[in-house]
Amino acid sequence: MITLRIALNNLLASRRRTLFLGAALFFVTMLFVLLLALTAGVTDNLIRGATNISSGHVNIGGYYKSTPSDSQTVVLNVSQLKKEAKEALPDAERVIDRLRGWGKVISDKGTVQTGLNGIDLDDEGALLALLALAPAKDYIENPSNPEETKGSLDALKKPGTIMLFATQAKRLKVDVGDVVTLRTETLKGQSNTAEATVGAVVRDLGLLSSFASFVPKKTVAELYQFKPDVSGAVQIYLKDIKRSEAAMNELRAHLEKKGYAQLEHDGQPFFIKLLQTVPNEEWTGAKLDVTTWEDEASFLVQIITGLRAVSVFLVMLLAVVIVIGITNTMTIAVRERTREIGTLRAIGMNRGGILALFLLESLFLGVLAAGAGGLVGGAVAAGIDAGAVKVDVDAIRVVLLSNTLHLVPRIVDIVIAVVSLTAVSMIAAFFPALRAARITPVTAMQSAD
Amino acid sequence: MKSTPLPLALALVASLTATTVARAAPTDADLVQMLKVVDDRQQNNGDYRSTAYLEQKERGKEDTAFEVSFFRRDADDKLMILFLKPKAEAGKGYLRLDKNLFFYDPTVGKWERRTERERIGGTGSNRQDFDESRLSVEYTPKFVGDEKLGKMDVTHLTLTAKDGVDVAYPSVDLFLDKATGNVLKRQDKALSGKLLRTTYYPKWSKLFSESKKADVYFPAEIRIFDEVEKGNSTLIVIKETDLRPLDANLFTKAWLESKSR
Repeated sequence: MITLRIALNNLLASRRRTLFLGAALFFVTMLFVLLLALTAGVTDNLIRGATNISSGHVNIGGYYKSTPSDSQTVVLNVSQLKKEAKEALPDAERVIDRLRGWGKVISDKGTVQTGLNGIDLDDEGALLALLALAPAKDYIENPSNPEETKGSLDALKKPGTIMLFATQAKRLKVDVGDVVTLRTETLKGQSNTAEATVGAVVRDLGLLSSFASFVPKKTVAELYQFKPDVSGAVQIYLKDIKRSEAAMNELRAHLEKKGYAQLEHDGQPFFIKLLQTVPNEEWTGAKLDVTTWEDEASFLVQIITGLRAVSVFLVMLLAVVIVIGITNTMTIAVRERTREIGTLRAIGMNRGGILALFLLESLFLGVLAAGAGGLVGGAVAAGIDAGAVKVDVDAIRVVLLSNTLHLVPRIVDIVIAVVSLTAVSMIAAFFPALRAARITPVTAMQSAD
Repeated sequence: MKSTPLPLALALVASLTATTVARAAPTDADLVQMLKVVDDRQQNNGDYRSTAYLEQKERGKEDTAFEVSFFRRDADDKLMILFLKPKAEAGKGYLRLDKNLFFYDPTVGKWERRTERERIGGTGSNRQDFDESRLSVEYTPKFVGDEKLGKMDVTHLTLTAKDGVDVAYPSVDLFLDKATGNVLKRQDKALSGKLLRTTYYPKWSKLFSESKKADVYFPAEIRIFDEVEKGNSTLIVIKETDLRPLDANLFTKAWLESKSR
């Protein structure tokens, strides 16, 4: 208890030193919390985007190859596959199917190559909740009414329509009501086209917006000349997304038992397999491919891994600076306080007590400064998120997977940041404290003279 | 004024109509024969080698140009396209073996299977633009009419792809020069009927083939216009054609790989 009081008194006595070290710890902790909140926000964007735009929590995709070179993303007998999914995964909340097209969207002034997701609006409540009509300024140059939104998400109920993301509409230089040409190849490899009216232009959802557009199922089926009961993938939504991988393994085992031919699991998005892997395999016919949302978004997971690595690197760099700062300051403090140490030793405090004294000082400093930094960081992150700060730089949008800054300050992240920085503070103080503990009372008294 | 007797006038009209109808509607066999002539004139029983210059114009992008050598052994349906220029593309190539088209990129040292409809080097040209003509094998012709293409008299046919045949375009409009039988213009359409690309063959050349013991015809220039992405076009100029036998091992992956070592 006495050690505790002495440590607190020392901190208060050396106010300038305490403020200087505390400020450093405060800012680094705050930065760490902000970076963790940003990473959590990007992860949140990824999960929301990936599981609504391009994937279910678990998917039964598939490929059909009429020749070894010609492959399409197709699953046959989709109604039966949906039954199999429900049977294998009783915790599935929603089982839908989408057609997975891939082709060119061509206007008079531009071309984009993108996914043509064939959807049935009645099944897509979660997707519609995520999408919002884009204001004219997002995709038209110098619009007369920049905030005006045109069209309707319901437009896709009518065959021969398309829903584009703002980035795509901007590249195509099209507005709601304009007609674009969809071009792809049928299952037999013959070129085919369809005309589609732009029914809605929706706000971008980061990088995912470049890889997807939405078209009524009927239009995609006609484009590819699909027979009834043929689709692109069965998408399964579970009660708990964390069970995705386990559910995938259960579904694979179930389908294997039922005699369905399946591809070996490969954690890549379907379009990478369609363009690179599957065409180089010799087989022909149909094979299923069961994946998780993480497989389908694996190219985006790298962004999160990168962001985490950058955060950790940055914080470690700053932590090293803090360690050097605290070590130096503590070393000076030990020298300045040699007499005090000698006195404490002379009146009976043992070496462990001296060591504990200095470590307690840094612990108090860490808890107070890092704790305050963590709390302020969390509050700032929540404020930025509430402000929905818009990002205008394309490269940053790609990394954030969103057009606005989305930060998720989580208590667990704040605790991690505060504990880490407090530990850093104590580690930095350890060697000076050890040095202080090794000073004998005689040496301390002599040095004081 | 002396009037023409009615029976004579009727006979004249009937005769002219009959002649026109006869001209306008050749039989199915005649049409297939027309395509066979087009195919046969371009086929060489032996080997074929040419150098081609490809120029690609694409809206919103810089023009690109390539020089390629292409080799054919029609008897085995073999085709090889080797990129020579620019330096960054040199060594890349396509090899067609047993109805499989493979692409080789020396920078990654890997072969990849590609579809028969692959856009060669990302241009508007397909394998069929470099391969032997197989119109009579792949399509069923229908007569549209005798027309004028500029100053040229042409026979206009529509071709529909036969079942089970692997072609990029299910429907084609073909305009054959009545004087020479050569293709002057070709319009490729999608299954929906939309016109996708128009190809012009303004120059044809011929070379005597020792193996065929007859002339082999080949287009000296091909101009392809994308009709959907307006502004995109491809020019192919074919030069230095040689019909002498090629190396027996030429149509192998090893041969193409050796060109970039």
